[in-house]
Amino acid sequence: MKRIPCLIFTLCLLASGSIWAENTDGQSAANTSTELQPISFAQWDGILEKQLGKITVVDFWAAWCSPCIERFPHMVEMHHKYKDRGVRFISLNLDEQGDKESIDWANDFLERIKAVFPNYHMDENMTEAFERLDLLGLPAVRIYATDGTETHRLSGDNPYQQFTEKDVENAVQNLLIQ
Amino acid sequence: MRFFKLIVPVLLTALLIAPAATIAGEYNMVMSIGDPLPVFENTPTTDGGTLSSADLEESVVVLVSLANHCPWVRGMDAGLVELVEQFKGQDVRVVGFAVNHRDDDRLPAMKEHALMSGYNFTYMYDESQDLGRKLGATRTPEYFVFNADRKLVYMGLLTNSPARKTRSGEISFINGDPVAFHVANAIAATLAGEAVDPAETRAHGCTLEYE
Repeated sequence: MKRIPCLIFTLCLLASGSIWAENTDGQSAANTSTELQPISFAQWDGILEKQLGKITVVDFWAAWCSPCIERFPHMVEMHHKYKDRGVRFISLNLDEQGDKESIDWANDFLERIKAVFPNYHMDENMTEAFERLDLLGLPAVRIYATDGTETHRLSGDNPYQQFTEKDVENAVQNLLIQ
Repeated sequence: MRFFKLIVPVLLTALLIAPAATIAGEYNMVMSIGDPLPVFENTPTTDGGTLSSADLEESVVVLVSLANHCPWVRGMDAGLVELVEQFKGQDVRVVGFAVNHRDDDRLPAMKEHALMSGYNFTYMYDESQDLGRKLGATRTPEYFVFNADRKLVYMGLLTNSPARKTRSGEISFINGDPVAFHVANAIAATLAGEAVDPAETRAHGCTLEYE
């Protein structure tokens, strides 16, 4: 059931004949800033569409999520390890819309750990964001192959199937050797 | 012959997909509405005792996953205490449970938190994480309401507007003042022998940390 929205999204992209391209503006911004960029649902769809040609790792997180904060430095490590091998890292922050206190904290955190890849803040109602993105909890990681297909959906949604940072790295390595 | 060549793969595919679509709830990968209350035994509680599922005699039993450290639990604490108060004297039992192994969520911290937050219900520590797993609980807070037959009739949010305790100590409701009181409605409907609607909502909060 939970894969249906993803499937529909992928099919819509294929049907529309969208051509994903390198987001050169986003790339240059990523190299110079760690600051969260507020985005809407429509903008988020556009950002995903622009990653075609790269393996893309998306980390969903929030300042209120302790495991997210604990795991985030691993994303930064992986970014440095794989950035020159065609792997793109993106974070999507899901703190409350208009919650300046949390967003300021998140920006300080991103700067402190030098998260020099594109960091976005979903500037939408949180309930709608979790529904629209088909998220139950955080942290969650989704990985997309070079053709835009979602290949891995890692989350804590099943108590019998939790994920670790190692699972994220294994998934990236598996995609790289394909 | 050609028909069978076409239909067999379709049927096989349908058989493979069908269990995945119906095996659990819409937002819960383990439990479905109508599933029985998982058995738990001699689970330690913050009052120094233990609780087993066999001890529960009330017509309605509410289990709620909690974690002391979680801002969504701290934000909802007052609402939970109010819920228990609302059904005081009725045949309802509310039981909170924690599963995390981090120090600030373990039993000693639970005792402090229960005292500080005025918890008026049993709060137990599922250290084995067995109950949490069997319930498919993955977020805090997440509510599970069972009827007199100990069948699940509701799971998900307390209300339509989860509340978070901010870093500066304020309570922030993400959808404004709550207008839909899902758990209270589920309890009232079950006590009245009526169906619960909605029976499932998307719980929102911190992710439980299973070892």
